Amino acid sequence: MKAFAVALLVVVTACGQGHAIFNVDVYSFMQGTGKDTIPYFIPPATPTTVSTVQKITLPPGFGSSIVDSVKITTGSANLENTGGSGTIGFQLFFASDSAGTYTAPMALNIPATSVTGTQTVPVVITGDISGVVDSLFRQETVYMRIAATGTNSGATPVTGEGVMTALIIRVVLQDKVF
Amino acid sequence: MRTGVVILVVAALALVVPRPVHAQLSFDARRIGMAGVSLGRDGSARRYNPAYRAVKNRSGGGPGQAKATIPLPLGLVTFFQDHPPGGWSSDPMFNPDSAAFNPVELMNLVLNPPVFYQLKQAPTPTNDIEFTIGKNQLIMNLGQTRVLIPEQRFGLGMNGRLLDLGFGVGGVHFGVMGFVNYEIEFALDTALRRVLRDTVGVQPDSTYRILTDAVVQTGFMPTLSFAQRLTHGKGAVGADSTESADDGIYIGGALHYYLGGTYARGVGPMGFTVGNPVFGAAPGVLLDARMQTSNKPFGKGVGGDVGVAWISGPFEVGIGVNDLGAELTWSDTKIQRIQYDAAGDSISVTTTANHVETKTKLPISYLANAAIRMGTGTTVGGDVFNAGRHTVIHVGAEQRWGPFALRGGVARDQRKKMQFGFGAGIRMGSFGLDAGVFTHSNSLGDTRAMTLATSISVY
Repeated sequence: MKAFAVALLVVVTACGQGHAIFNVDVYSFMQGTGKDTIPYFIPPATPTTVSTVQKITLPPGFGSSIVDSVKITTGSANLENTGGSGTIGFQLFFASDSAGTYTAPMALNIPATSVTGTQTVPVVITGDISGVVDSLFRQETVYMRIAATGTNSGATPVTGEGVMTALIIRVVLQDKVF
Repeated sequence: MRTGVVILVVAALALVVPRPVHAQLSFDARRIGMAGVSLGRDGSARRYNPAYRAVKNRSGGGPGQAKATIPLPLGLVTFFQDHPPGGWSSDPMFNPDSAAFNPVELMNLVLNPPVFYQLKQAPTPTNDIEFTIGKNQLIMNLGQTRVLIPEQRFGLGMNGRLLDLGFGVGGVHFGVMGFVNYEIEFALDTALRRVLRDTVGVQPDSTYRILTDAVVQTGFMPTLSFAQRLTHGKGAVGADSTESADDGIYIGGALHYYLGGTYARGVGPMGFTVGNPVFGAAPGVLLDARMQTSNKPFGKGVGGDVGVAWISGPFEVGIGVNDLGAELTWSDTKIQRIQYDAAGDSISVTTTANHVETKTKLPISYLANAAIRMGTGTTVGGDVFNAGRHTVIHVGAEQRWGPFALRGGVARDQRKKMQFGFGAGIRMGSFGLDAGVFTHSNSLGDTRAMTLATSISVY
């Protein structure tokens, strides 16, 4: 993989003063692995957080580059609620290793969405995460944790799944390969 | 520090700029105004045709023949205004630490030394490059940089002689010349070319390759050469400093004993293969090259040059062929196999043979030239040149009216692209001022550039 990525670097170098832009379809790597689904079970009056962690591999050699921006340009999930009433919100965390995502500052917060009974509620997950995670996206490997935080103000558990349906991260670099 | 390294590299590259540039780079605005054709008996004719050693330089003002040409490097004025020498350490052109540093722009500078004024520069791709990466998707949108991806086989090469020291008696000349030859050729397979040029996505279960063949060799060659005028034409009998004084047939030859200093050759495919889905697993790297390097100097070989020229009044034609049979035998060579080791994600180098004999060849070069000087002040000429790579053709003409001259020409360069030149000049006594405009594709890209050359000729 390293050698292949180096080949990409050669191409990037040729763009000279321009930017190197990576549109990483993170969802495509999550789809079908189980990591695209976050089952939740929220007992009454007990806020609960459940997470899924995904490794993102980027081309190496950009350690000296300047990260212009990191944005989630396309992102969506369905809250497939199967019972109870409450709210579900999403938070995204990034770190250089899996464990670090549990202590990293929050990069993106998607406000809570209300769910009730048996229903499917679409949620849009987009936002600019520049600044919080810039240095991470100069590395070869970044871990992303998607956390679903739920509240339950009712008397019965809130149950269901948060199912990711799209997630594309756009990284814009001023490449400095030399 | 790194700026200094870059400047040194640029200087080194400038010394070995590839043959296409040499073929089109001249400091004579008259030649440039005719798209590169030379109507005189300049260094190119003597370099490639040993018969011209026996032909006198046309002196006393044969039309279009100057004793010396002094370039007026207007381009350097502009260049040093834009890039003051004292500021190169912070100049984005030379400073790789700068965010604006562009290696393509720097390479174009090497390929186009800014001696003359650039009327239209080849654009340097400075756009964004976009990669779309998904589990079953890899799309590379190189934007303007796509012009850097060659449509055909792409190569750089030079077969040059660096110096010619020696002495001669009569038609015999003994000397020592240095030689340097490098040939680097790449060929992208169709699939990879489509991915890079046409923004076609990488297909699952596919392989993408670049085939590379590169050789570099250098050394020196003691040379014994001979040039003789075989016949005197009718016009030459009793002629003195007239256009007919040189009439006749000339022949020449040179025998070289090549003593190679060092060489290296690498041949093999490089590329990558993807599975299904594209990023279901890490793409596999294809690298299986063979590398030959000389352990000791003094690869030996024998070769020769031959040439003939015929001059009859206003008509002149010549052909010279260089490095015939030039095959060097290297008695002590190491052969290595360079492979990509998928298990270790590293490159392994194994010696498959050592202290073995290998051979290399120098490419055969030839130059055929012709010119005719009409009585109306018109001179038409052309040449066909090949230095082991693609053939370059120049055709040009000059029309003189008293002190004034108009010139024009067309050329087909090594990239098989048509190039054009036109120019004018005025002669005042022993001096002439000439200007020539020419198009060229001496850059990393397909777009033509246009340069205005100016020079003073001393007659």
